[in-house]
Amino acid sequence: MTELQTASVVKPWEGLEGRDRNAACMIAARDGDREAFDVLIVDLAPLVWHVARGSGLDRTTAEDVVQTVWLALLRHLDRLTEPRALAGWLITTTRREANRVHHRATGQIELSPEVAEQTPTTEPSPEHEVLRHERDHQLWSAFHRLSQRCQELLRLTVLAGRAEYRAVAEALHMPHGSIGPTRGRCLNNLRSLYNGDSGS
Amino acid sequence: MRTNQADDELMAEVARLVNELDPPPPGLVERAQFAVALDDLDRHVELEVAQWADTRTLAGVRGGLPGTITFFVGDLTVMVNVTRTGERQRIDGWLVPAGAHGVEIRVAEHGSTVTTADEGGRFVLTEVPRGTTQLLVRMNAEQSRTVVTPTVDL
Repeated sequence: MTELQTASVVKPWEGLEGRDRNAACMIAARDGDREAFDVLIVDLAPLVWHVARGSGLDRTTAEDVVQTVWLALLRHLDRLTEPRALAGWLITTTRREANRVHHRATGQIELSPEVAEQTPTTEPSPEHEVLRHERDHQLWSAFHRLSQRCQELLRLTVLAGRAEYRAVAEALHMPHGSIGPTRGRCLNNLRSLYNGDSGS
Repeated sequence: MRTNQADDELMAEVARLVNELDPPPPGLVERAQFAVALDDLDRHVELEVAQWADTRTLAGVRGGLPGTITFFVGDLTVMVNVTRTGERQRIDGWLVPAGAHGVEIRVAEHGSTVTTADEGGRFVLTEVPRGTTQLLVRMNAEQSRTVVTPTVDL
């Protein structure tokens, strides 16, 4: 009885980090602990968001995809054989779902990132408030002209403190050691785009 | 050849821009938590997630204006028309293929409202509270098939 009470107070994921924490939440969620699933969403929703955005979806569609991915996880809870690989599974599932939605949404015209940027949305863009400096504006614009792969890799690198780097490598189907060099190439591309931009 | 320091500095700028200009929207976590908090979900029931059909027409609805929204998954299409009735709203829906499917409308912090479509696939729900809303359709023709939507703010 005492043990049971203790177990219900101290959650199995408390004090854990990264994939150990994810795995502990996954196992608890499988046993029907809703709080565990909620913790997973808190921890990993930013990752799913940035993968969706890095795939070229607008913010509204990206949020739909975020919810779809969590519903998919709910559905696959019992079927995911490796709880420690959850971040990788989320990245892969988000990219697949984003591609599915993207192809349908752009079935009429293939939107390039430039066109997409100019497409008016009802959501007030935060960009005007934050892009105080010309350099910011040009760098952000250059970022959106990077290949989708580079945009995604750089976004995931930004998150790497929270999401594990290895999961990023797995999901991008890259050998672990090649992320650094690829990141370097993406940053060089960004520099070229930025310099070309400011030079014209 | 660029130095690692130059790369790190540029990466720091990218990180700042991504975090400042494209953060997850406020409430993203809470809406996702609501979307998955489905009661009485039989683990053996096949859960399918519908897509909103056209995000552009939906933009009006999401901006807070009533209108018609369509979502679909596989062969199922659901059209929903939302009409304001004071503080609440009336929801007229039409399911294709038609059938007496179970329809549930969940509104965050307001519980859920349940009805059954008629043989023509039509359903009406009145006095539905406004808020973060999710639709569920329980298909009666094929056993163990439940369709859910992402949330929409109505």
